[in-house]
Amino acid sequence: MSAEASAATNQVASLGANRALEGDVREGAMEGVLIACGKLGFRETSVRAILEQSGGHRAQFYQHFESKEDCFAQAYATWIERLCVSLLEAAATTPGWEAGVREALVRLFRFVTARPAIARALFVEVQIAGEPAMARHEAAVERLAAAIDSARAEIDSAEMPPEATGVFVVGGIESSVCEALSAGDPSRLWDALPELMHFAAGSYFGKEEAEGAFERASILLERERARLMGVEEGDEER
Amino acid sequence: MTELRLITGTALAEPTPAGVEAAPLRLPPGRHGIPANLVRAHQRLRLLEAAAAALAEQGYGRLTAARVTELAGVSSRTFYQHFEDLWACLLAAYETEAGRLCQEIEAACAALVEQRGPIAEADRHGRARAGIAAALGFLAAEPAVARLLSAEPPPQIAALAAARRDLVERLGAMLRGILEPGGATPLPGLERRLIGAALALVASRSASGDPQRLRQLEPELSEILLASL
Repeated sequence: MSAEASAATNQVASLGANRALEGDVREGAMEGVLIACGKLGFRETSVRAILEQSGGHRAQFYQHFESKEDCFAQAYATWIERLCVSLLEAAATTPGWEAGVREALVRLFRFVTARPAIARALFVEVQIAGEPAMARHEAAVERLAAAIDSARAEIDSAEMPPEATGVFVVGGIESSVCEALSAGDPSRLWDALPELMHFAAGSYFGKEEAEGAFERASILLERERARLMGVEEGDEER
Repeated sequence: MTELRLITGTALAEPTPAGVEAAPLRLPPGRHGIPANLVRAHQRLRLLEAAAAALAEQGYGRLTAARVTELAGVSSRTFYQHFEDLWACLLAAYETEAGRLCQEIEAACAALVEQRGPIAEADRHGRARAGIAAALGFLAAEPAVARLLSAEPPPQIAALAAARRDLVERLGAMLRGILEPGGATPLPGLERRLIGAALALVASRSASGDPQRLRQLEPELSEILLASL
């Protein structure tokens, strides 16, 4: 811990900080670091910028985190876990592989369009931040890839796709999300839904199934765009 | 970097033993009689190589111009004589290596046609596989370059982000060009998504620190890419 961090921590201890509020402070700073990094970029984000998002004092910040990097890593671990659980739940509660993947994508796109700054931190800035958040990122990719790999249950053993297919599909979806977020236009992801379904189904089942998945996603998107999109864009980030 | 080796001679082509940091590739100090333009070109190449090495070492989050100059064995003054800032240097490195990657792929496809004639011309999947193998071989041979080309750059550095988009578009067009020359593109974004996925896979394998894992990816990557198009 730096001298500045130690001094700040001691200051709070001497003030007798209200422990009941400490969980809120930590949670607020974790949300704040993601929003600040999503807006300013990881390199440009300072502890001051985090506190401008979350409120609170430097002393409180350093009671929970050693540095900006530590705060980002903890925030990433918490939020990527929440997102993974939500996506896996969307897929698991929808019958059929194709419909499950589509439902998970819809949930992902809702999150990205509703919370673009946090999404940008989770998808783009984590790659700038590096370790230890990147290790969590790799674990999340593996976990989602294992879930998407359930497609194998519907494929004959003679036509089984390569082992790397799950990671490949997750990487393609992630790369599309990064592209939309980096361009500052997350809503464009909705237009990509049919193409991403083509990409995911094609990677496991080949061209014919991919075209069917594309058609079904296109029809669904055309008919139910408003319902699928669910929430208004950017409704919470200051 | 091939060009650097051409300038500096055969000694530099010898690999550095694992775990031993390569000595900076400096020209002899003092009066050496080497023309000024060659010295300048040599410095630039060293900086480009050092930019990729520094990125592999520090990541985008901690990358500094100071580390680039240190690895290149040049002064800060020399750095700024060549580049406006860190990002201009990294952009030049990115564009140079992206160009080399595309040349490797084109050369591998052309060599196959030259060796096997009209059979290879008709064997589009064979040519695509040759191109994919060449790309992975190139990246496996230079892990720092693999990291440079596959990692998502900071979107705030617009020119670098644009260079990555250009590479993705170019590789996607090459893939489509081999498989369906002159044909209409049914899904304009599909190649981009496939290449984005391939680069994500390369980034993940590169991070493992074992270049062999990249080379071993060829049969799998070829099968996945070709199944989708």
